[in-house]
Amino acid sequence: MSFMMRAVKVPPPSASLEEARHRVFDLFRSACRSLPTVMEIYTLNDVVTVSQLRSAISSEFRNNAHITDPKVIDMLLIKGQEELSNVVEHAKQRHHIIGQYVVDRTGMHHGAGKDPSTSQFLDNFYTSNYF
Amino acid sequence: MASVSATSVSFGCSFNQTKSITASKGCSISLGTTNRRLSSLRFPRLRVYASAKPETVSKVMEIVKKQLALNDSVDLKPESKFSELGADSLDTVEIVMNLEEVFNITVEEDNSQNITTVQEAADLIEKLVADKPTEATSEASA
Repeated sequence: MSFMMRAVKVPPPSASLEEARHRVFDLFRSACRSLPTVMEIYTLNDVVTVSQLRSAISSEFRNNAHITDPKVIDMLLIKGQEELSNVVEHAKQRHHIIGQYVVDRTGMHHGAGKDPSTSQFLDNFYTSNYF
Repeated sequence: MASVSATSVSFGCSFNQTKSITASKGCSISLGTTNRRLSSLRFPRLRVYASAKPETVSKVMEIVKKQLALNDSVDLKPESKFSELGADSLDTVEIVMNLEEVFNITVEEDNSQNITTVQEAADLIEKLVADKPTEATSEASA
């Protein structure tokens, strides 16, 4: 079980939005550079191309593009790094990768699965206590 | 070999004191003056930063067009800035990663900050592609 405790050090929080943006692009770059390895591990050569996986990654990043708080961005970065390391070290399986990153992703943007609501009051209520 | 003749032409413009320059296929250049300084021209490891080849520029434009999903009606010149074409910063990084994959190069962190137009991307690619085989030869000889 000790191998799970190897990487629990949390990096220092981003001082500014600029630094957070820098870290986001670093994560994006390392994810893109690991794509050939991922293709090989899960034998996705006949299923999808590197370009398609790359645009799947960028759409995941773009889903959260509206966030401006550096601490929230840091949290999302930690989750992203964990996801990337899980994928690369083969902790996931082929059907996970295909279901999450290859299958049709048109309904995956921010606010996708929500029906047009009839109640403005309820919408405000769900988002916060104060309105 | 077309690139060799292109580089020899650019050298002809930049050096004022040359009397005559004849460039043959083996890159041997004869000069009246300053012979020793230019003797490095004999070695094929010469790197002249001429502007990028048109094939490279057109490949880069193809990639940009596909990435940003531009119609054919959009006027895409080598000097077009990515931001003018509707790319945000993530798009720019993604374009650079796409170019890394296609040309089999690795763009350093600080280099990628400076890429804002198609022409700059093509020039950087040319530079990196030219640097790669020289690294390989120096490793082989070491």
